[in-house]
This record gives sequence, structure tokens and C-alpha cells, in this order.
Amino acid sequence: MATDPYFIDHPARVRAIQGEMVRQGVDVYLGSRLRTISWVADAFFPWRTYMVIPRDGLPTVFTFVIDAARAADDSWLGTEHVLGYGPMGGQDQITLLANEIHRSLPGGKGVIGIESGMGTYLPEGHITHYEYEALRAAFPEAELRNSIGIIDELSRVKDAGTLNRFREASRLVDVGQAAVLDAIRDGGYRGKSETEIAGIAIHAMRKAGSEWDWTFTGGQEIASGHRTGYAAGACTPASRRVLQAGEPLMVDLHAMYRLGLGDHSHNYLLAPATDRQRWHAQNFVGLMRLLLETYRAGLSPSGLADDMLDYAEECGFAEYMVPGFEHGIGLLGDEWRIGTHTGPFPFWTDPDHVYRPGELIICAVQYACPEEKIGFRYENPMLLTEGGNEVFSKFPLEIEEI
Amino acid sequence: MPNLKYLSPEWAAEALRRLRAQLSPEKMKHITSSMMTVYTHCPDGKVRAVYYALKEGAFEQLVIAEGELPDAEFIIKGDYDTFAQISRAELKSRKALMSGKLELKGNLVKALSLAVIVDRLNEVLATIPTDY
Repeated sequence: MATDPYFIDHPARVRAIQGEMVRQGVDVYLGSRLRTISWVADAFFPWRTYMVIPRDGLPTVFTFVIDAARAADDSWLGTEHVLGYGPMGGQDQITLLANEIHRSLPGGKGVIGIESGMGTYLPEGHITHYEYEALRAAFPEAELRNSIGIIDELSRVKDAGTLNRFREASRLVDVGQAAVLDAIRDGGYRGKSETEIAGIAIHAMRKAGSEWDWTFTGGQEIASGHRTGYAAGACTPASRRVLQAGEPLMVDLHAMYRLGLGDHSHNYLLAPATDRQRWHAQNFVGLMRLLLETYRAGLSPSGLADDMLDYAEECGFAEYMVPGFEHGIGLLGDEWRIGTHTGPFPFWTDPDHVYRPGELIICAVQYACPEEKIGFRYENPMLLTEGGNEVFSKFPLEIEEI
Repeated sequence: MPNLKYLSPEWAAEALRRLRAQLSPEKMKHITSSMMTVYTHCPDGKVRAVYYALKEGAFEQLVIAEGELPDAEFIIKGDYDTFAQISRAELKSRKALMSGKLELKGNLVKALSLAVIVDRLNEVLATIPTDY
């Protein structure tokens, strides 16, 4: 096991959760967020899934029965602890959860940790109103306590196995970027649509071992022309738009390796480029170079944003910058928010969050000039260290003219 | 053969005899498992259960239990009338489960893989001349 660079000590993760449960007075934890399920079970769960974690022993996962056998095969928890639910007497979600929780709550009394909140991320998986009310009815003498901080704090600093999964996913993304460059150079882009570019990248990345085009933003985000420059940034699922000479092209690729996520956006100008387009490109690349030199543990999102926007103002392009330079990332399901829940707006990133060494983010920058139908995006997983950072995608930072 | 009273010791003995005679270990997929059907609201108001034990596809036990019930890998619970309808082939066990008339306790993935075996078992039980 120790020789596997992607090894994660999941039993140790469970023990860490259980230690926090004891410390916080939680008798049994009901996880429902995708990030929790991925982090503990180490398998891909596309259906509504729950995890009951007792104070001692292994967690038990409940997922839609049609996928339970596959998920059990993929997860280290195995068939005894990955079970199916379905529309049958005694096998519906609430009955199964209530039975499992009851083992940890003699007499139905105690504290049930739940995962409540809100998110920008659609598949976050917070407990629903119906689930909450049904469990409250099943355990009228128990307290249902929001305990999402336990997982969020424990998963904040990444271990070596997790980081290596992200490094490998980034290598796969670089394979996709290289395939796209090969396909579009020397006029090869002519006649190709955004969806075709996405397909070229997907084929190369899948061939190299990518498990999934993981984003819920459309898998591979390919944008050309005016679609690169939407105001305030955008997610750009590939459309049937055909690439045109004289336009920008944005290639934002995503690969997955054992729930580790690759995410890198590269930008092009399809010749002939104008001087004005080159000016925009130089602005973007210049800012990116400064940003990559600046990022390190000890800084905060708001401090970084201030510095970068000051630079953009000095250089005369601040109005084209979307004022955010990163988003959170973790194993599949952990996307968007950075850190825990300490900010002024509930369930959003705390702008004054101070990065610790070992935290991983997606360095994400959007430059958008809708009136000139041009924009650029940079995304790359970035490990923050004491003295700086490591970006995982190694595709060169530049905006080539094709 | 005279009709036997449903869930009586005589009915249980005849059920075990027929199951052993008609369902070979091959037909039972050589499974080793235990199953209990729990009958609530029996005509006398009691709760009864039929406990089946299989070893490598062979029926080892079929006993009627009352009071404190044994544990089993799969427990199917429902009204006496529901089970009686299933035994008379008036109701499919799958439909009873899907409509919530029966409750299953146990690993659903494994249970689904054994559903065809339970159907075979019910078909044999349905041949016993029975008074409900």
C-alpha cells in the first residue's frame, strides 16, 4: 500500500471523523454531500447517496440500488457497508437510514450530525427538507445538529495520495491540451465546431486514462468568439459554433483520476489577430505571471484580489477583470467554496481566509471584454506551500496565435 | 390430501417436504442463507413467522416461530392476509414489496439477486392444499 503514490488512508479518515464526533458530542453522523461520500468512501456515487458514520466501526453507505453493487466493488468499504435503497417496503431511504442510525442511538436519544446548508454547487447534496422532517419524526427525542464543519475542516489540507491523484488528473488534462493544439494548428481549426474540439480533447484524455469529464458545467468548456467574453465570466459548455479566423478560442479541459480532478484552461487567438486582441492577451498573461509568482500560504483571497486588481488598474485593464482569482477544490463533489464556514455570508468563501500550507485551490482567473467579443480564462490546480505554490498542469502559460 | 391449516406444524412439515423434493440445490443456486417471513395480524391476533435455513442450496430448516423470533439474513414482514394472497397466487410478491404491503429487511442488492429463488419457493408453497 505504501508504495502506491495514490494511496489514501481512508480508515484513518474515518477515525479522524469519529474523534471529532466524540469531541463535538455527535453520536452518529449522517453524511449526504457528494464531497463527504467521495472523501470517505473513495468511489464515484452519481445518485443520491447517504453515509451513516457511527462513533465506532465502519460507515455504511446507502445508494440507489441499481448502482450499489458497482459502487461497493469500487469502494474500500465493500458489499457489507455499501448497500442499496429502492422503492420497496422496508428498503426506502428513510427506513434504511432510520434503522442504521438507531443502532447508534439507543432509545432514540442523542445527537445526529447532519449536513445542512446551501451552495452554489448544484450537486452539493445537503439534506433536503423532506429528509430532515422525516428523520425528525423518526427520532423525536434526538437532536439533529448541523455538523458540516467536521468534514470541511478535516478535508481542508490535502494528503500526499490526494495531491498525487490531482497531479495525475492534471497530466491527463495536459494530454488533452496537446491533442487540441495538434488538431487546430496550421489551419486545422477551420470547419471545426466547439463540440468537435471538446471531442478531440475527451478522446485523448480518455485514451490516457481519464475516468470522467467531471464538471457539471458541461464536461469540457470550449468557447470561441463572443462566447469567450461573457460579462462576469461564464461556464461555457461547448456549443455547435464553428471556429472562425480572427477570433479568440478558450479551451477549458477537465479530467478525473480516482476522484482527483484536473482542470486547466488554455487560450488561443485564431489568426489573423489584431493589435488590440494582442494587447488584451498581453494583459492577461502578464497578470497571470504576477499571480503565479505571488500565490503562497499565508495570503488570503481578498488580499490577493486587491493586489491583482491594483496591478490591472495600473496597467489600464481593471474593467476587464472578474474580481476573483480562485475557487476551492477537493475530491469529486468538493468544488467552489474555499475553507470552512467563517465568512460574512453563510456558506460562501470567507474572503479573509488565510491559506495554510497544503491547501489546494483552483487558481481561476477570468478576463472578459464583451464589447470586443474577447475573453480569456486560466484555471489550474494549485498547491499552496510556505514559500509559494505548485501548479499541477504544466501546459505552458501563453496565448498562441494559431 | 386433506387441506392443511396455514402455518400449522403440519403445513410446515409438508412445505419442507415439498421444497426438498421440488427445488434442487441447483435450482436454489447453491445459496447459503436464512430467510424469515413474519406474519402480522394472524386470524388469532398473534404474530407468527416461518424461518427458512438453506445451506448450499439445500433446505435445512423450515420452522414456525412465535413469540421471540430468531434473526435471519432476510426478514420479510407483512399482514397474514397479504401472505395468504401471495400463497394463493392472487398477488405477486414483487408487487407486494413495491407497494409497501411487505417490508424487507436485509441487503437489497443481494435480495434482488435472490428474488427468482423466492418466486420458485412461493410457487411450491402455493401447491399445498391449504385452509387460510
